[in-house]
Amino acid sequence: MSFPIRRVALLAAGLTAALALTACTGQAPAPEPTEVDPDATLRVGLVLEPTTLDIRRTSGAALEQVLVDNVYEGLVTRTQDNEIVPALASEYEISADGLTYTFTLHEGVTFHGGGELTASDVVWSLNAVVEDAAYVGHDDLAGVASVEAPDDRTVVITLSEPNQNLLFTLTGPAGLVFDEGDETDLKTSANGTGPFTLESWAQGDSITFQRNEGYWGEPAGVGTVTFRYIPDFQAGISAALDGSLDVLTPVQADLASQLDGVNGFELQRGRTTDKYVLAFNNAVAPLDDPRVREALRLAIDHDGLVEVIGAGETQYGPIPSLDPGYEDLSEVAPFDPERARELLAEAGQENLQLQLTVPSFYGTAVSTFLVSAFNDIGVDLTVEPVEFSTWLNDVYTNGDYELSMVNHVEPRDFGAWANPDYYFHYDNPEVQELYAAALAEVDADASADLLAEAARIVAEDHAADWLYTAEQITAVGAGVEGFPTDSLNSRLDVSGVTLATD
Amino acid sequence: MIRYALTRLLLLAVGLAVASAIIFLTLRVFPGDVAQMIAGTNGTPEQVARIREELGLGRPLLTQYLEWIVGVFTGDLGTSFLTGTPVTAELADKAQVTVPLGILAMLVALLVAVPFGVLSAVRRGRADGTAISVIAQGVAAVPVVWAGMMLVVVFAVSLGWLPAQGFPTSTGWSTPWLALRSLLLPALTIGVVEGAMLLRFVRSATLQAIGEDFVRTAAAKGLTRTQALLRHGLPSVGLSIVTVLGLQVAGIVVGAVVIEQVFNLPGIGRMLVSDVGARDLEKVQGELLLLTAFVLVIGFVVDLLHHAIDPRQREAE
Repeated sequence: MSFPIRRVALLAAGLTAALALTACTGQAPAPEPTEVDPDATLRVGLVLEPTTLDIRRTSGAALEQVLVDNVYEGLVTRTQDNEIVPALASEYEISADGLTYTFTLHEGVTFHGGGELTASDVVWSLNAVVEDAAYVGHDDLAGVASVEAPDDRTVVITLSEPNQNLLFTLTGPAGLVFDEGDETDLKTSANGTGPFTLESWAQGDSITFQRNEGYWGEPAGVGTVTFRYIPDFQAGISAALDGSLDVLTPVQADLASQLDGVNGFELQRGRTTDKYVLAFNNAVAPLDDPRVREALRLAIDHDGLVEVIGAGETQYGPIPSLDPGYEDLSEVAPFDPERARELLAEAGQENLQLQLTVPSFYGTAVSTFLVSAFNDIGVDLTVEPVEFSTWLNDVYTNGDYELSMVNHVEPRDFGAWANPDYYFHYDNPEVQELYAAALAEVDADASADLLAEAARIVAEDHAADWLYTAEQITAVGAGVEGFPTDSLNSRLDVSGVTLATD
Repeated sequence: MIRYALTRLLLLAVGLAVASAIIFLTLRVFPGDVAQMIAGTNGTPEQVARIREELGLGRPLLTQYLEWIVGVFTGDLGTSFLTGTPVTAELADKAQVTVPLGILAMLVALLVAVPFGVLSAVRRGRADGTAISVIAQGVAAVPVVWAGMMLVVVFAVSLGWLPAQGFPTSTGWSTPWLALRSLLLPALTIGVVEGAMLLRFVRSATLQAIGEDFVRTAAAKGLTRTQALLRHGLPSVGLSIVTVLGLQVAGIVVGAVVIEQVFNLPGIGRMLVSDVGARDLEKVQGELLLLTAFVLVIGFVVDLLHHAIDPRQREAE
């Protein structure tokens, strides 16, 4: 559905650039707005729209991105650097054995519906996730033995075994706090404690927030925020250029020049945990042979790929630079087509034919690159673009594929490599033990070391190829201050943004 | 006439019944389901199974189909699996974009096709007549997506006269000018391309009319060729246009699906594309049934009109 549009978009991009040049002449530069307007409306263009607002039961970055921190809050949250900081909890303490977490709640926090936040709301919210498998993050809270409220301001979470990821899980949908017994229909409306209230959701178009005047913390810098969903990248650029957006994110790298310095827009380049993973089905021949997997990795010139994409950084192992346990693993899979051919010969796979199943909305740049890289070592790669739901069914659920390429956006998702049932079908008991040990480790640095060790094994096993970590380009318009830069895919806290108008 | 109308009405009903069954069954053949989409890439198989059960996806197909059809007759198209909102209400909401878009596109198509089509026929063999034909041939071959992009580049981005995309959803048609403005470029895009195709029909119909005996007779009686054509020939041209226009409706519906993507319009077309992707089948089947019904009803009306206008068809009865 989207590939012809994209191809045309490229064509149009060139023409737009040409026309923009001619249009510039005779236009006086717009006066720089200076006065910060506390009641301004911030208009943000986004690409991926949530399909429902039910954040408790629907997974997906698009939903977390806009709702967490803006509308809903948890005991803790995370910064753009993925550091964990208190939110609804003013402070927290972890017992020395790592089994007891004690949170103290802020005073005077109220829900948008008027209810006051008490410890029993937190207990009720967390217990729902612990008890009901249909809630997002249920599995991550499997080790929670009890959630209790000794008094109105204190919440105690007791674990059956230490879990280094507990706080991180609490920064996501599983940790959000809802009003006990509230009957708001979460699919279409919201009742949180955040700096914004949900004003409206026009499905297929936009989501609008209003400033929560009764917010317990620092009030939001703008009166209204409208998130406009524009799935087509070129249409997003047009919207920014015709003045109907203040911010556009992400901007596709090869189109970014159209907004760089044009009409007051400036580009911000932010880090992400978006890992473009070239998955190998480790369970099927010939990919169950590590030599074949290594050969495929050596055939890929990762620096060249990043150059083709136009943004991003190389990533040679399963952990991206923003997550704990990252280390530079570039020596594991250097670009070496010569060696790749040797490895294939050793493995007796000189006339290899492989199929790459890829969701169609990713465009063709990466798969074209791979076809030619693999062709160079004598591997004939056919690309099968499929709809995302088909991908979920065939590849993700049924594991029926050879190679697949998907962007895994979630931070700290190393666990997939320790789960033999995950669609990678990578089964290495050593990695599973190291990961379990890293989770159970009380000391954060020691845990990160264990993760790094496990990640190195996964990389050296060539369980997959990590094509690159994406960079998120954001075009920020004139007068917008404080728009966040990093990790925007999973978290877009706009409470600190201000907008100056003239 | 009444007998004819009743026969056609019966055909329409049969057509809709068959279409509903085809729509329902084809959608069930797709791999993947909405439960999987809800659970996403972090969902466990147990989670997916549970969601599937909650949504009632496991019930027998015949039960699901009958429930749907019974609902259709009471104006209830079911509830969206994803958003939990009634499909009928969503359709009504999105129709406020798509229906005016279709009507506007149709008007543009007529404005392009009729005058230029007649002109190119009358001026056949001369430079201007040939030019119109050639240009129309070229424009008709332009993909709607590309035409849309070009219009955006010129009228929205460079000149800044019209918005590049979007629809004022919060105010809707209570701010008619804003709503209309946002539909002008998309309607122009579909209308010009569809109009160029229609133009060729108008041209050949006009050429045929010029050659008809009654036009030649009129001309022989002292009218100029153009006068004769305008007074006596055009009614028969009109008849052909009505027929072709009926066929063009399907083209305009398809055009709307594409153009709503390009211009980011929250209409039925864009909703359909995203719902198919999300496997929200309850909604997709409602949308498809509505679009099918729309095209079938237009065909029905065209047939009736045709029958009413054309004396030859009446005599044949």
